[in-house]
Amino acid sequence: MQLPPFAYHRPASLDEALARLSTAGDSVAALGGGTDLLINLKLRLERPRALVSVRDLPELAGVSLDASGTLRIGAGERLTDLAAHPLIVVPYPGLAQAIRAVGSQHVRNMATLGGNLCLPTRCWYTNQSENWRGSQLPCWKTDGQVCHVIKTAPNCRAIHSADSVPALISLGARVLLRSSQGERELLLADFYRDDGIENNVLAPGELITAVLVPPARVRSTFVKAAARTGLDYGYATLAGALTGSNRVPKSLLLVAGSVGTMPLVLQKPAQIILAEGLNEAGIEAAADAVRDDLGEVTNLFTPPGYKKRLMRGLVRRVLHELRRQKLPAAD
Amino acid sequence: MTRQLITLIVNGDRYQVPVAPCETLLDVIRDRVALTGTKRGCTSGACGVCTVQGDDGRAVLSCLALAIEWDNRPVTTIEGVAGGDELHPVQKAFLEYGAVQCGACTPGLIMTAKALLDENPDPDEEAINEALAGALCRCTGHIKVKIAVREAIKAMAADAAPEDGHGIQEG
Ligand SMILES: Cc1cc2nc3c(=O)[nH]c(=O)nc-3n(C[C@H](O)[C@H](O)[C@H](O)COP(=O)(O)OP(=O)(O)OC[C@H]3O[C@@H](n4cnc5c(N)ncnc54)[C@H](O)[C@@H]3O)c2cc1C
Ligand code: FES
Ligand code: FES
Repeated sequence: MQLPPFAYHRPASLDEALARLSTAGDSVAALGGGTDLLINLKLRLERPRALVSVRDLPELAGVSLDASGTLRIGAGERLTDLAAHPLIVVPYPGLAQAIRAVGSQHVRNMATLGGNLCLPTRCWYTNQSENWRGSQLPCWKTDGQVCHVIKTAPNCRAIHSADSVPALISLGARVLLRSSQGERELLLADFYRDDGIENNVLAPGELITAVLVPPARVRSTFVKAAARTGLDYGYATLAGALTGSNRVPKSLLLVAGSVGTMPLVLQKPAQIILAEGLNEAGIEAAADAVRDDLGEVTNLFTPPGYKKRLMRGLVRRVLHELRRQKLPAAD
Repeated sequence: MTRQLITLIVNGDRYQVPVAPCETLLDVIRDRVALTGTKRGCTSGACGVCTVQGDDGRAVLSCLALAIEWDNRPVTTIEGVAGGDELHPVQKAFLEYGAVQCGACTPGLIMTAKALLDENPDPDEEAINEALAGALCRCTGHIKVKIAVREAIKAMAADAAPEDGHGIQEG
């Protein structure tokens, strides 16, 4: 597959990049590592007039702790570097696991965190060449009036499957957004929308500059079930982050990925653990309860009913791992 | 479409090539520089046959890299791996342990293994699996490939050891 023509800009500063992105609105796209965007261009799913390379902007670089202990991760950082970074691996093992679960090492060598957070949703229909798609009716994403995933759906139900996202949400991460209009900061959990097309709240011309992970001594983990480990998108993923002890847990966030158009915070299983404690009986009850939380699951890439059963297993695995894990040492 | 003149540095040789922004590194290496050892497979990041080594030594999927972003940044392709007639230990091991059938995947797998060993000369099982997972072979599977990589690791360690073969002298 060949790329369509486009203009290419490589600005030297964030301000220059934002000016470029704001002049032409929608028809200009930010280019991170290109590991997804370039494929979507080849598939003719997007047709930007110009690409603005943001990966090497100095303002998007760096991993650092501020005075309050908040971890700042620049959106241009490569996933390979992040997966091995001591400021991530030691305090947030769940985040390191999630980043390492993205694609293959080849992909992670090129891919950026900002690109992962803005990964568009996917489905079996749009993930094909334009020629192939021509054999079926166009869908919501390709200017049609049908969702091939859930036939009755009034909008696009393609799957959100960016692996770093559930882990970051479980840690209460925030994103810093910049446009030529100014800066705003929001919870990553509030960044996504329940729509396969307008999947996040990023305004035209806006960039993610950094991700902020609040200081907390947490136990954290991430599991991914996929056809092939080390390359494929997940059938389902689950991230968990816990504070407090097994007997008296203080907070627990369980966040599922690859189950719907946006990451899903599991309510009931977490409530059960907080009420019962992180013990054998609590874990079984939490695993049983996950079904109710899932609601309408997009059974994309898996047989009907499979994801609900799978999630039950993932809840068990995550909770058992959190129960076993030692709290990272305080520094 | 406006083209921009870039200097591509492939295996130490410099090529001045006018490229359009939409040309991938893979297209330019194969079709303009005429080094066809780097293979074109899925063109969407999923098979690894287009793997080259970037200026930081890491494996790069040339089908997902824009040539224009590689102006003046050295790239190593399979043609640059052997030292003259002397094959690289990874190449020798692939030959000796039969890690090749049709050969379509071989350049990508060798570049992947070389990138791994350049960064970590003594990778454990998990690190080998992690690296090789991004480069697929649909003929032999990965078993013979892994045997070859392990043998290459041994051969390279032996080469790196002092002449007498005993490592650090007691004393
Ligand atoms: C074989 C293969 C397997 C994959 N498997 C997985 C997987 O298992 N899990 C997974 O999560 N992903 C997977 N991916 C998808 C992709 O590689 C990753 O999501 C990657 O992190 C995307 O990052 P990037 O920098 O390459 O993004 P790009 O492709 O450069 O960009 C992706 C999107 O983000 C936007 N963007 C980029 N940077 C910014 C920014 N700073 N601010 C605002 N918008 C921005 C772009 O405009 C574009 O819309 C896979 C890809 C391939 C090729
Ligand atoms: S051709 Fe590049 S990964 Fe398949
Ligand atoms: S030898 Fe044929 S694909 Fe690997």
